[in-house]
Amino acid sequence: MENATSGLTMISSQELIDRIQKNVGVPWQSQRADGFSDGILLGSSDTVVTGIVTTYAPTVDVLRRTVASGKNTIICREAPFYSRGERVPLQWRNGPEPPKELIDSDVVCRFKRDFISQNNLVIIRFFDNWDARKADGQLRGLARALGWGQFHQPGRNSEEYQPADNFFALSETSLGSLAQNITQQLRIGGTRVIGDPNSRVRKVALTHGLLLVAEVERILRAPGVDVVVAGDAVEWEAAPYFEDLVTARKAKGLILIGHEASEEPGCGEMATWLKSVVNEVPIEWIPAGEPFGTLR
Amino acid sequence: MDTCRGTIRDSEVSVAITMNQETLSRRRFCQIAGGGLLLAPTLMRVQAQSPSKLTAREVVARIRKNIGVPWRTPTADEFKIGDPDAPITGITTTFMSTLGLLERSQSAGHNFVITHEPTFWSAADVVADLRDDPLYQYKVDFLERNKMVVWRFHDHWHARRPDGIFAGWDKTMGWSNYAVPGVNPFSHEYAVPETSFQELARDMQAKLKTRSMRLVGDPKLRVTRAGHAGHYITQCMSVLPRVDVLLVFESREWEAADYVRDAIAAGQKKALIQLPHEGGEEAGMEECARWLRAFVSEVPIEFIPSGDPFWRPA
Repeated sequence: MENATSGLTMISSQELIDRIQKNVGVPWQSQRADGFSDGILLGSSDTVVTGIVTTYAPTVDVLRRTVASGKNTIICREAPFYSRGERVPLQWRNGPEPPKELIDSDVVCRFKRDFISQNNLVIIRFFDNWDARKADGQLRGLARALGWGQFHQPGRNSEEYQPADNFFALSETSLGSLAQNITQQLRIGGTRVIGDPNSRVRKVALTHGLLLVAEVERILRAPGVDVVVAGDAVEWEAAPYFEDLVTARKAKGLILIGHEASEEPGCGEMATWLKSVVNEVPIEWIPAGEPFGTLR
Repeated sequence: MDTCRGTIRDSEVSVAITMNQETLSRRRFCQIAGGGLLLAPTLMRVQAQSPSKLTAREVVARIRKNIGVPWRTPTADEFKIGDPDAPITGITTTFMSTLGLLERSQSAGHNFVITHEPTFWSAADVVADLRDDPLYQYKVDFLERNKMVVWRFHDHWHARRPDGIFAGWDKTMGWSNYAVPGVNPFSHEYAVPETSFQELARDMQAKLKTRSMRLVGDPKLRVTRAGHAGHYITQCMSVLPRVDVLLVFESREWEAADYVRDAIAAGQKKALIQLPHEGGEEAGMEECARWLRAFVSEVPIEFIPSGDPFWRPA
């Protein structure tokens, strides 16, 4: 599209998705087996994009800041109505998708839907295809946010930060100090830790999102891993698995920083990548921020 | 105390003894439980000579007889490991049969563990993929070496009316008298004396002995209504309009936490307490130990908490 007044080329939300698909570097997965997919979740495909916000989740606060900054398109990982769309609980880890009638009658969902339509916003989910790329942008973003680039132990892969390429050799410290350091560096409050705070630790496996048992098994096949950092863990799966690892003296600690905290820096990486393929409109990363506080 | 160690089989008599136990002070109760630890080896010798050797299978048969709801199939409530027909030395009830918990149960002389949650790190205790896992082998070896038996008691303890897990939670919180009818017959909602959100959370943290509670909401918010919303967003959407404070445990972060922060951003006066799963359900397994004593009197029965797995950095 041609913008008559400015002379700049305009881009529609559909053209934006086409641009992403063309450049993402992996075959586009348009539909998952459970019926959920990346693409436009809310808003129109012919909306003229005025600016792009990348974020972990389109919270009401992020929507307001997007509008205030003059932008109308949000590219996010999580969906607006608090569900990843699975029709049945995934091994009871998450809830079933709320039925349409429940979302339609829910005051919070109605408020959000109205805000999105009144402001002509477009919500685009970009999760599975972003994560399918060869280099793990979420991992790289988190490593950079922690300032751990210099400690990265490169794998045998030519490209850095492939998903399994996530080991870091830090200066030796205690588990307690490491957890405190991470908490301060990421400016979060909801960190949760399993393990003896006095354990001496050095080698860390950094992960993002929900940690599963199979991933811990893979990590511990590498020698000398003391600590795993993750977003969160199911409390009948990887969390007690790690408790048992610590009891059996097979690992020293698990540091859970929260799902948002672990995925948000990668959304900053996503903004950087988008700028390399979209130059028509401003692009900004607006972090949703940690949802939790704690008692003080 | 001695009477309760006897081999009473008549369920009516057992019920009467339990009612007496419930009138005991907590301190006295602990003394009895502690006494069980010292008595355990003696009991084992007595049982060796006794023609009536209580087995885990017999205990489960009594549970099925007393639970008050039809037994379901399929169910997670099954033996996970060990010989159900071997004599038992004592019973531990707990939230989760972690390795640390199993070690404590073994030290206490109880070789039968009744756990609410899985032993092998998945909802259905699926071990097919774990055969080569060194931690799985370590845990199985510990259990086999110590001739321990693990049985899961989840579905039917929840199915009991009232739900055994929430009956215990209410008692530990001192909220039994605050319960009010909820959104459906399975709800757990409470009218609590007016307080601030922060004070409510502080009180809950102390009573549940939890270390990893996380909060969404204004600490100064005045609150009078609280309600459990289980794990899932559909439950949150049903309960939040009815309460000031939503209580969830083991909920994915993109569900309850983002929902409640959006409700607040939309102008609603709401708050969320996210407990560790253990903080939401462990008290129910203390209740389970109290309930079991009504019809199992041959061996010591002790509630041993698996405890909050997490701590938070200062």
